[in-house]
Amino acid sequence: MSGVISGAEKALSMLRALPRVNLGNIRNTGAPKRSKRARGQHGGDKHGAGNKGSGQRQNYMRPGYETGNNPFYLRPPREPYYLGQHLRKQYPPISLQKLQTMIDTNRIDTSKPIDLAALYNSGLFGGEQDSRWYGFNLTDEGADIFNAKVNIEVQWASEGTIAAVERCGGVITTAFYDIDSLWVLKNPEKFFKKGEPLPRRSMPSQDVILYYTSAENRGYLADPAEVAYQRVALAQKFGYDLPQLSQDDPMYNTLVERKDPRQILYGLNPGWIVNLVEKEILKPKDQYLQEYYSS
Amino acid sequence: MKFLAPEFRSLILRSARKYCSEALPSTNAAGATQTSTAVAAITQRDVPIVNLGDRKLPFLSGYERPRQAWVESFDTLEEKKLGLIDLHPSIFGEMPRIDVIQDNVKWQRYYKFVSFAHTKVRAEVHGGGRKPWPQKGGGRARHGSIRSPLFKGGGVVHGPRSPTSYFYMLPFYTRVLGLTSTLSIKLAQDDLHIIPDLEIPTDDPEFIEDLIRTRNWGVSVLIVDADDVMPRNITIATDDIKHVNLMPVYGLNVFSMLKHETLVLTLSAVEMLEERLLYQLNRKDSKEICKKFKLSQI
Repeated sequence: MSGVISGAEKALSMLRALPRVNLGNIRNTGAPKRSKRARGQHGGDKHGAGNKGSGQRQNYMRPGYETGNNPFYLRPPREPYYLGQHLRKQYPPISLQKLQTMIDTNRIDTSKPIDLAALYNSGLFGGEQDSRWYGFNLTDEGADIFNAKVNIEVQWASEGTIAAVERCGGVITTAFYDIDSLWVLKNPEKFFKKGEPLPRRSMPSQDVILYYTSAENRGYLADPAEVAYQRVALAQKFGYDLPQLSQDDPMYNTLVERKDPRQILYGLNPGWIVNLVEKEILKPKDQYLQEYYSS
Repeated sequence: MKFLAPEFRSLILRSARKYCSEALPSTNAAGATQTSTAVAAITQRDVPIVNLGDRKLPFLSGYERPRQAWVESFDTLEEKKLGLIDLHPSIFGEMPRIDVIQDNVKWQRYYKFVSFAHTKVRAEVHGGGRKPWPQKGGGRARHGSIRSPLFKGGGVVHGPRSPTSYFYMLPFYTRVLGLTSTLSIKLAQDDLHIIPDLEIPTDDPEFIEDLIRTRNWGVSVLIVDADDVMPRNITIATDDIKHVNLMPVYGLNVFSMLKHETLVLTLSAVEMLEERLLYQLNRKDSKEICKKFKLSQI
């Protein structure tokens, strides 16, 4: 072991020479001290609040109010740079560097296709889901060191990102998920416990339909032949040799797997009910249900 | 140091020596290897080998070295060292956070406490319905009730009301850190002893008391085993001794560890403690348990 002694070890070795820690001598030295309202000569009288007015009554004017003048913040004309920003779709970034780190630390299994559920399963993403949040934007930060061969599906990707993934022999797809599908992907187990049939994934909304039908973006609705053409075109543009996908490759089955445009989770079709208690899957039998859930 | 009384001087010297021996790992390690070979000889002779020096410790970062402790015999009055055991530094070598321990102790005292202190408001005090004197003309201050808070014997404003619950939940990982901090302190201050199991030759309480006296384990001892069904002898022997208590691992808590001077863990208790605490420290869904505690949660 190294000769470096950690802070904890130092503290513990100091404790050897100190009295036994017991119920009588522990205290929280870091707890915030509450100041008390002093009396008399120790700061009584007005208790530091001054004489009358808003100092004593804490009824301060709102910030920016200039007692009746046209306030400074209202004097220049309005410049609405961010008009409608709160309504736009949001794609929080996740970099190739972070993806590589997650793969290297076994947070993600590359032998299976990586989708939102796999990213969430890493346990690194969580928190509250914003209503305008539509998945991840895979950014090209760390593209130089990215060397994993993956079949990844994200919601937004730049040209550089696509090149970095395809240069390593991987496959990238951009796919749209509606809000309800995102909830399923975020915590599939929680959804299964509800006992509801898996919903149908919606088609992309008007503002993003062009993105997801474009082969340049590797959209999931693009023509596969066109995507194959664009893969070669991008390799020529960035100057790398596009690795050929052969059936002898042990990753072959993983790399060719794609989701149906109506499908949310790999291996499960819309309309199916997953019963975690009985460990069985219930599939719709009625003709009209099958028609409804088919893509 | 010359100005000190001799007994204090020796005390400080002893403490300083303790401190130095801990701070110099090289001498410590050399001593440990020498004694462990000696112990190996003993263990081969007459006792089962419990030298667990090569335990596999999971979740080790590589920057922290394992803590070590002796495994001592429990079936003899005199302490017999049976072997060395590696202890996980995340459990037994954690930063001693006295403040977190204090938080835990406070929480353990408060969460089950219900205050029955009670005062009456002016409406609840008997009488006082009549206006004591007319509003005007008496030359006295106006009053509407003799049970007003201004009156002696009147109601109390903002007094304690019964029952008041002091229940709250400490954040999950503060509770975990409280346990690891306390275990680390107990080990660092030589108040933690590890024994192979709870088998003792007799059910006589005198045996336990003699053992504690011989080994300088102090007055109060908390003995912890993995299982809550313990051997007959130890159960009967400690039944009447109020300051020697038995506890399963699932009941181990900060307050009890501090309440007792010495903590005694069986090997199975050490295994179980490490396994449970390491699981909690490394679990993947820790975000779920860090959420705000709700009374309705399962």
